[in-house]
Amino acid sequence: MFYRECGVRHTTYAADRALAVIPFERALLVLLIVLAAAAPWIVTDLFLVSYLTPWLIWTAAVLGLNLLMGWAGQIHLGYGAVMAVGAYTAVHVARAGAPFVVAVAAGGLVAAVIGSLFGLPALRVRGLYLAMSTLALQVIVDWILVQVPAISGGAQATLLVPRPHIFGIPLVTDQARYWTAAVFTLLVALFVANVRRTDVGRALIALREKDYAAAVIGINVFYYKALAFFVSSFIGGMSGAALAFLYYRAVTPEQFGLNVSIMAVAMVIVGGLGSIIGSFFGAGFILLAPIWIEHGLRELAAALSVHISPSTLAHLPLVIYGGLITGFLLLEPLGLAKLYDNVRNYLRVWPFGYTKK
Amino acid sequence: MRRWVYWVLVLVLAAGLAAVPALAQQKVITFGFPVDYTRVYVFVAEEWTQGMVDYLTLMNLKGGVGGYTFDWRVVDTGNEPQRGIEAYERFRREGATIFNFISTPVSNAVAPRAMEDGVILLMPFHGRSDAADGQTFPWLFSLGANYWSQATVIVQHILEAEGGNLRGKRIGLVHIDSPFGREPIPVLEELSRRLGFEFQSFAFPSPGTEQSATWAQVRRFRPDWVLLWSAGPSQSVGVREAIRNGFPLDRLVSVIWLDEKDMNIVGAAQARGVKRFEAAVPGREHPVVQEILQKVYQEAGKGFGKIENVGSTYYVVGIASVAPVVEAVRIAVERFGEPVTVDKIRAALEMVSNFDLNGLMPPITITPQDHEGGGMGRISQWDGSRWVPVTDWMSAFRDVVWEMVYKSSAQFRQGQ
Amino acid sequence: MTFLAELAINGALVGLMYALVASGIVLVYKSSGVVNLAQGGFVMAGAYLVWAYIARLGLGLIPGILAAAASMGALGWLTERLALRRMIGQPVIMILMLTFGLEVVLRGAVPGALGADTKPMPIPISQAPVWLGDILINRTYILGGAVAVVMVALLAVFFRTRAGIAMRAVSDDHLAAWAVGIPVERTVALSWAVSGAVAAVTGVLWGAVQGVDWSLSLLLIKALSVAVLGGLDSLSGVVLAGLIVGVFESVISGYVDPFVGGGTREVVAAVVIFLTVLIRPYGLFGREVIERV
Repeated sequence: MFYRECGVRHTTYAADRALAVIPFERALLVLLIVLAAAAPWIVTDLFLVSYLTPWLIWTAAVLGLNLLMGWAGQIHLGYGAVMAVGAYTAVHVARAGAPFVVAVAAGGLVAAVIGSLFGLPALRVRGLYLAMSTLALQVIVDWILVQVPAISGGAQATLLVPRPHIFGIPLVTDQARYWTAAVFTLLVALFVANVRRTDVGRALIALREKDYAAAVIGINVFYYKALAFFVSSFIGGMSGAALAFLYYRAVTPEQFGLNVSIMAVAMVIVGGLGSIIGSFFGAGFILLAPIWIEHGLRELAAALSVHISPSTLAHLPLVIYGGLITGFLLLEPLGLAKLYDNVRNYLRVWPFGYTKK
Repeated sequence: MRRWVYWVLVLVLAAGLAAVPALAQQKVITFGFPVDYTRVYVFVAEEWTQGMVDYLTLMNLKGGVGGYTFDWRVVDTGNEPQRGIEAYERFRREGATIFNFISTPVSNAVAPRAMEDGVILLMPFHGRSDAADGQTFPWLFSLGANYWSQATVIVQHILEAEGGNLRGKRIGLVHIDSPFGREPIPVLEELSRRLGFEFQSFAFPSPGTEQSATWAQVRRFRPDWVLLWSAGPSQSVGVREAIRNGFPLDRLVSVIWLDEKDMNIVGAAQARGVKRFEAAVPGREHPVVQEILQKVYQEAGKGFGKIENVGSTYYVVGIASVAPVVEAVRIAVERFGEPVTVDKIRAALEMVSNFDLNGLMPPITITPQDHEGGGMGRISQWDGSRWVPVTDWMSAFRDVVWEMVYKSSAQFRQGQ
Repeated sequence: MTFLAELAINGALVGLMYALVASGIVLVYKSSGVVNLAQGGFVMAGAYLVWAYIARLGLGLIPGILAAAASMGALGWLTERLALRRMIGQPVIMILMLTFGLEVVLRGAVPGALGADTKPMPIPISQAPVWLGDILINRTYILGGAVAVVMVALLAVFFRTRAGIAMRAVSDDHLAAWAVGIPVERTVALSWAVSGAVAAVTGVLWGAVQGVDWSLSLLLIKALSVAVLGGLDSLSGVVLAGLIVGVFESVISGYVDPFVGGGTREVVAAVVIFLTVLIRPYGLFGREVIERV
């Protein structure tokens, strides 16, 4: 319907390989970016602080993990630890007096180095065995965080995050934090979207399909696997730092524990492996669904004046949330991105549904 | 894929977006209780929240305090910091000014925001122990003995039980390997230097359901006393291991997190003799609890949870953690007049003095310097069916506690 | 020396109890190549059901356990029938995620319906210590270790029966099993049912150790490590891996903890798994997948 592809012709290779091929989608993208920039005037304060900001930063993290899981096909159950390394490094660097941007970059770099260590087993094992060995590394990182008070911030294990400054401008308002997060996520999304179009991206996809076969056609498996871990950990570390500076404002080990790693994997899978828009959907769903279901149920119970024990009422959202994950995957195993794609494909040819490929 | 599925999705989305927050009312003081009903703090959240809400309900039924009534918002955070922050931001905009998260990680994550926004954050028996330092943390209130104070009270009890001399005695600390579990270690080390007892700590990793290796080490140490420092399911596992290792239970003293349910899991009769730190009087005999039972549960039928929970250990802890705030509201109306704002409540909290809710809790006196209120508690012992106090309310070695508090809060200020 | 022996024996017994949780995962993996991330939730549900049947409905101990095993078997079967069967042919990671969703559902539904506070498992095991010379052994662990050995032995026998052989055939090759007339779907469903019943028994033992509440579902992580270490599709591997993990984490943490000043238990287990996977990529007894292009 909206897409109106009829008459759109690409006369150059560049046009055919553009990030957004269909004019309507290009317009949509611009509109979304404008909306995102104007969000502080559109949505309420609460929405901005509690939903949009964490959602965007988490999306950046998920994009990094998706690069590894969706494109390179390596399961990673220790992403929370990578984010922790980034966050703690960045906060310590910033406390030592470095500016915000330098701190975040340092966080990303250190996380990338340590994250590449996580990738070591990937050179030998795959699938669940890789998942377990990354999980083992998560346990080790968690343990070090708790054991070394110098890292985690004394007896209370809480490290206060210094106020971020960008080029001398302090980011104190919620709006400034939001915009910084939005720009960061946009950059990461652009980067990941472009990786897909380069030879590196192609090599990663070949790896995912069958690393043995990729080796046969001349792809250096060792190099590309290490590269995938390095880049994804770099993004993960920066996202962890961004979470600490722009959202949490105080870091504790629990913010990056094993359940966070599992949450990140869930975001990638529910969103859709190897999909950029899916990363946005997945992060939003896994992050916000439990919250909204919980509030919704409570308001519903209050409106109907049903009396349910508070403990039972607190457990019901888990059932719905888990049911939704299961339900979505049963309906569409390729994730929310595929659901979106179905709608898109339907609209692209509407009303001539029979022309569908 | 069927088409109706998409319609359902669209409807669900629309419904989710349409949820509009309610408006705050006049002459109402709103509490926010985003607590962990489903994860780590499951063992305490239900009863604690019930105690807090029932006490507030009782105050409302009695016509409020100084013309003010109380309202509250309860939600589950699953012990996840970002859900806690979301609930905090939401409830704050709905008018909540006083929060209790009953979760250390969530409280610690929200603390910087609360201090910026000027919102009262209650941290009784959880959160930052250095919140006792009211000068550094004007908006955080411990309102009860923090873990350092609990350790000193327990050592004081041991000192008295041993006839005033601990020289040559051995005290072991069996703790969960987390910041919370490690917290008493520096206090106990300092006290061991001072009192001359030998001290060793024994850690077991979270979740602590397997402690046989830890207790084999404890047995080798041959301690005279053992302190149990954990929470949740690992507590009953620890008591069981102590029984198995033939350790005399009347020399086993737990941190505040040990209650009747843990004793029943161990076996009520077998656990006879276990001691613990206590910060409020459990049971139904106390007049306030009686009043709640009668007015809230029987007459009004507005009890927040199961009636069986009323009077349990954590239930009375819940009462004890909001009662000083209610008292502060009374003071605020009296001293500063209406309208009562959050600043006035905060200032009034620092004027609460010698408040003990007719003996339900140890007397606490909060000052601008001391947000802990004296750090008092007592030791009680399980007699096979209930907890019997073996000491009076007391505090001890305050200088050690304050040294810890100031050291930790100085570290915090550095990061500011 | 007695210290070492005590640590080793208790560690071995706990390891066997880990192995019992892991055997549920292995059973399903063997038949369908799916790793059930809801196994921890199954164990929790099993323990809750045993508690409910005995304490709420007043069944006796053995009938209660049997009824719970039957109910959990039905739940396992239903899971396969309603969810997993529709996912055949989908990428493994999607199926993993699906079982994770199930885990979340179970963790909400079971404590939500039966009460979230910790409940005592109503089985009479004395707390009195068992002394072997100077070595102290935990009664619950002795029972747990014994039950684990018996259960795994029963499973091993089961794989010699007609249904068991069919299951092995299915695990070798779905298509070939189909071709020779083995009801593949029914066999897979059977493996889910058996693993559900195993979870109920496991729930009884672990419930007796730590009480019945949601935290039983955390056993999943330990069980997964043991299963992977053993090689995912090998029952004997699981037993050996359980023993290795149990003994190592008990002995090493017993000697190292005092120097580190912290609980090294979980880290020891993590390091053992990490190294093993590096040295033997398919676990101790796992079937090696031969690469073909």
